[in-house]
Amino acid sequence: MHKMRRASGCWSILFLRRWAPYMLALAPLLFVVVMLVAPTLRLVWEGIWGQDLAMGLSEEAGTGPAGNAWSIVLDPDLRWRMGWSLMQATATCLLALVLGVPLAWVLARWQFTGRELVLRLLMLPFVVPTLVAALGVLALWGPRGWLGAPLAAAGFELEETPWMLLYGNLFFNLCLLVRAGVQALEQVSSTRLAAARTLGATAWRAFWRIEWPVMVPWLASSLCLVFLYCFSGFGLALVLGGQRYATVEVEIYRLVAHELALAQASRLALWTMGLNTLAALAYAWVEQRLASPAHVTPLPRRQVTSLTQRCVLATVLLVLFMVSGAPLLAIVLRALLALANTNSMALLLNEETLSALQNTLVFSTLALCFSSLLGVLHALALHASEIAGWRKVAARTASFLPFAVSPVMMAFGLLLLYPQWSASLPVLLGAYALLAYPFVATALTAALDQLPASYTQAAATLGARPWRVFWRVTLPLISPALRRGASFAAATALGEFAVSLFLSRPEWTTLTTLIHQHLGRPGASHLDAAMLLSALLMLLTLGCFILIETHDRSVS
Amino acid sequence: MLELRNIIKHFGPPQAAPLLIGISMAVPPGETTALLGASGSGKSTLLKIVAGIEQPDSGSVWFNGQDISLLPPEQRHFALMFQDFALFPHLNVQDNVAFGLIEKGLPKADARMQARAMLERFGLGNHALARTWTLSGGEQQRVALARALITQPRALLLDEPFSALDAALRERMRDEFKWHIAQAGMTAILVTHDETEARTMASHGWLLQNGRLSRRW
Repeated sequence: MHKMRRASGCWSILFLRRWAPYMLALAPLLFVVVMLVAPTLRLVWEGIWGQDLAMGLSEEAGTGPAGNAWSIVLDPDLRWRMGWSLMQATATCLLALVLGVPLAWVLARWQFTGRELVLRLLMLPFVVPTLVAALGVLALWGPRGWLGAPLAAAGFELEETPWMLLYGNLFFNLCLLVRAGVQALEQVSSTRLAAARTLGATAWRAFWRIEWPVMVPWLASSLCLVFLYCFSGFGLALVLGGQRYATVEVEIYRLVAHELALAQASRLALWTMGLNTLAALAYAWVEQRLASPAHVTPLPRRQVTSLTQRCVLATVLLVLFMVSGAPLLAIVLRALLALANTNSMALLLNEETLSALQNTLVFSTLALCFSSLLGVLHALALHASEIAGWRKVAARTASFLPFAVSPVMMAFGLLLLYPQWSASLPVLLGAYALLAYPFVATALTAALDQLPASYTQAAATLGARPWRVFWRVTLPLISPALRRGASFAAATALGEFAVSLFLSRPEWTTLTTLIHQHLGRPGASHLDAAMLLSALLMLLTLGCFILIETHDRSVS
Repeated sequence: MLELRNIIKHFGPPQAAPLLIGISMAVPPGETTALLGASGSGKSTLLKIVAGIEQPDSGSVWFNGQDISLLPPEQRHFALMFQDFALFPHLNVQDNVAFGLIEKGLPKADARMQARAMLERFGLGNHALARTWTLSGGEQQRVALARALITQPRALLLDEPFSALDAALRERMRDEFKWHIAQAGMTAILVTHDETEARTMASHGWLLQNGRLSRRW
């Protein structure tokens, strides 16, 4: 009897262990289904079957589902919007690639004072909210910007041209590519390079035949992200694109918020989602190939000694500063100037601003807690499961779904599916958490990938139960990654804009929506207030940046 | 007595040949048994099946007349030593050694005291508060052995414990391990691909080849 009970206990333990990954996955899966998949399907349904009576859809376009979807291609305005969105994303990818590869090579191969700091600062644009970046671009290149004003006086008006948007895109994405390039070059084996050189390859040939093939998957992975960010970008395009160069996401927002053309907006969203999903799948596929850690002896870095090298280095640093540092500096300078203006101070310290600050902090904290929990569960489920091949790729892709479906479309889908809850706090916070949780999930998944199985196995053979193994071994070892992911998640929540614009109530105004409101109001004092609020938001996200970088230092 | 009865284990696609085909062996108590085989022959997998980390497709593991096949690793009371030592990088040397004692419910202070005493026996008393990665390869290995022995496991499972060491150190550690295991009077299984090492350390030797086990000495 005792033996039978013992055996049944053992079976239940085995059963629990076998199904534990699925139980862990349940909460994030349910959340993603309710908050993302179902609203997206509703959006797809609306795109295929929906009709806009108010819009008076043209006869030839709206004949059946295929006709509905095709109507986007037939409409010259929407066709231009799609085409331009693709063009600007592709152009940004090309520009980032052309600029980023040489920058990455110099940063990876040369040693100079301040190199570590430069590498750390490359992370800064990742945490800057899009609206802050947009204001930074305006403060620098806008008609009254530090460089824009003299250029305008000389007859080079940048407003209403695509350059402002492309520059804004580069601000965010050049660093992404440079970091990927540096990481890739650190994976190049010095012995392979030495072998190539002794076999007669010049430095140039060795780059193309040894270094470049190692870089390709890393660059491809980051280019997928660059494309995704640019194609589904909203804040930058809304502020910098103007009427002509606004992207498809801005058009969707305009159709929903200003024209109530939900079906047409859904059709546009359908096309956008298709392209985003392709880019996200490509990203997950490349990432899967990068998952196994490589053990190589990297090439030692060369000291910068000659004058030519110094000139090249100075150019590299100047390019990096002009693309990714100058907009932030421009904002700080504008904010400092605005501080001297008493009207701006009054605007900054009024009840509206304080309430927006409070909302931002409360929403971000709640979203952070929720997204961290979901991210941990997602990563642990993925790690504990024994799935392989396409199933593993699919499970990894699930954590990128919120990236594939842009905030605008996510909010739009929620509006369509749950119209009665469109202005409810749980939905708003859920949307915030949905946007933030992939950062936690991906950071933890990567950390767990690199965690040797022997640690947990050793702990188990030393008598630790699964929960104790997690508590005493796994959690302490992945906690730097958790902090890193949570910092990104916090930065995302702090700078969230599109979802707040769609789902918020006036009393839930956040810093980003308040900045947007100021931008829409006439008068220099409102622009000053927007700059001041942007500087404040930048300070908050800077806290996240410091947390991320403190982690990096402790790891190194 | 530790026994394996008709263990079968597949890896990869179902049509692939099994990695382990009907493995049966008995490990005499208080002695060291070596398990020899080429890389990829399945000897580490067999050791993990004994430890409870891997489950066999069929067959059973017995200890002192009791079927322990369904017991999870933490309830088998076997200590497994890994090729890479698997020392926890977030804990210092003393806490690594005390890990298993704390899991057995010993108060932290007592566990640390016992760990310290164990480290003294292993000549590592000065390194108790050091981080594991600051130790040399040989010192790390001693810490791993101390961690494994301190809980007084029913059997010690050694998965190529010397493969990460250079030749001179390997020879020294071999003798040291043999002495410590003999002192503890412990049943041990040593997985290795080095026959000299196996013959030096073990009183019995088995060869795992093409999924089957044959007695060497």
